[in-house]
Amino acid sequence: MIKLENVYKSFGDLEVLKDINLEVKPGEVVCVIGPSGSGKSTMLRCLNQLERITSGKIYIDGELADQREMGKDLQDIPAEKAQELCTELGMVFQRFNLFPHLTVYENITIAPKIVKKIKEEDIKEVALDLLKLVGLEDKRDEYPSRLSGGQQQRVAIARALAMQPKIMLFDEPTSALDPELVGEVLEVMKKLAKDGMTMIVVTHEMGFAKEVGTRVIFMDEGRIVEEGDPNQIFENPQEDRTKTFLKKIL
Amino acid sequence: MLTTPQIMAMLQGTVLTIQLTVIGIIAGTILGIVLALGRISKSKLLNALTWFYVWVFRGTPLLMQLFIIVYAIPLFTLDILGNPVRLPLLVAAAVTYSLNSAAYLAEIFRAGIQSIDKGQMEASKALGMSYYQAMFKIIIPQAYRRLIPPVGNEIIMLLKDTSLVASIGLFELLRTVNQMSNATGRWFYYIYAAVVYLFLTSIVQLGFDKIEKRYSIYD
Repeated sequence: MIKLENVYKSFGDLEVLKDINLEVKPGEVVCVIGPSGSGKSTMLRCLNQLERITSGKIYIDGELADQREMGKDLQDIPAEKAQELCTELGMVFQRFNLFPHLTVYENITIAPKIVKKIKEEDIKEVALDLLKLVGLEDKRDEYPSRLSGGQQQRVAIARALAMQPKIMLFDEPTSALDPELVGEVLEVMKKLAKDGMTMIVVTHEMGFAKEVGTRVIFMDEGRIVEEGDPNQIFENPQEDRTKTFLKKIL
Repeated sequence: MLTTPQIMAMLQGTVLTIQLTVIGIIAGTILGIVLALGRISKSKLLNALTWFYVWVFRGTPLLMQLFIIVYAIPLFTLDILGNPVRLPLLVAAAVTYSLNSAAYLAEIFRAGIQSIDKGQMEASKALGMSYYQAMFKIIIPQAYRRLIPPVGNEIIMLLKDTSLVASIGLFELLRTVNQMSNATGRWFYYIYAAVVYLFLTSIVQLGFDKIEKRYSIYD
């Protein structure tokens, strides 16, 4: 479904991703853990091309979406093609990034309307179903500033889902939330996972990773240090760095 | 007090003032948006061109720009083409005010656009929007509210600066009362002009206060 091959990413002299190889299959929920600065978020952002990789290959849904060597575009994938592939990925940000000038309903419907040119009457039902899914039917006409952080993040999830992505990327979706609001967001994510959505989740919520994750990846200093079944990673980590990290946070 | 012809003359002057302000703001806004997009674009060439434009029009006196368009261009074209290209005075003035206010408005728009959180562009892109879709549907609409005070300021400046066309022989409000005062030896005509200017700038100010309130709904 998604494949990264020998992906490197540098910001100037700083190498943040080093030789990342990862394949995610349909229905998997891959949880990415690791200390801050380990490149977890950058990896997600490279997938939907918010950052461009320095070298390596990225496949989305079996198709080459980006291929670079030393910063140069090798494949010359047309911008529209890349954009189209990227719309198969939905993204949820740490800081929600809802559009503050639009109501909840408009936040959800704007991208389908202007990107996919779907008509109002055709998107309405989808949007209302999504609001039901995230439990916010009664907030459809509110502006984001009137919602709690947990509610905003649920709207952000609905907004991403409205584009009917095949894969959902979550970039520390609960890190900016007050502790009592984390649960409601994780509940929605669990529901999605149960419905078979393919997900890549950068998270510090080890409980979620254990319960919902089908695979856990531990990253440190721009590399994938260890990956495996959640139970194995949490109960019986093989690498020293994984052990040190888990000891610190559990 | 004022005779009917005097009132008519002052009214005509006022209409000219309003005309120049409205044209200057509308044309200046359109050109200003284009310039602002150029200033923030990734293209080095566009950056340089728009920077140069703002540098020239913001860095030289408005009165000089007016003189160049009204007096220097006919002389210049006479030298080059053998025929002077002379715009009608009103058109020349409207062009000058449009070009000049575009430079100021471009900087206002640029600052407004850049003040919007980067996460907004990222979220738009992640949803598959193109740069221009994100710009016109997400970023610029959010910038509106922050633009209201400085744009109001610019309109008021422009409105007052229309009095400069007195120097190229157009009978706007100030020149009209100046003539009346010269002809009659009386001073109070200037008070009428001041009152009209204050009245017009007050309308702009009140209007913009209203618009600002209206846009605060989503905060």
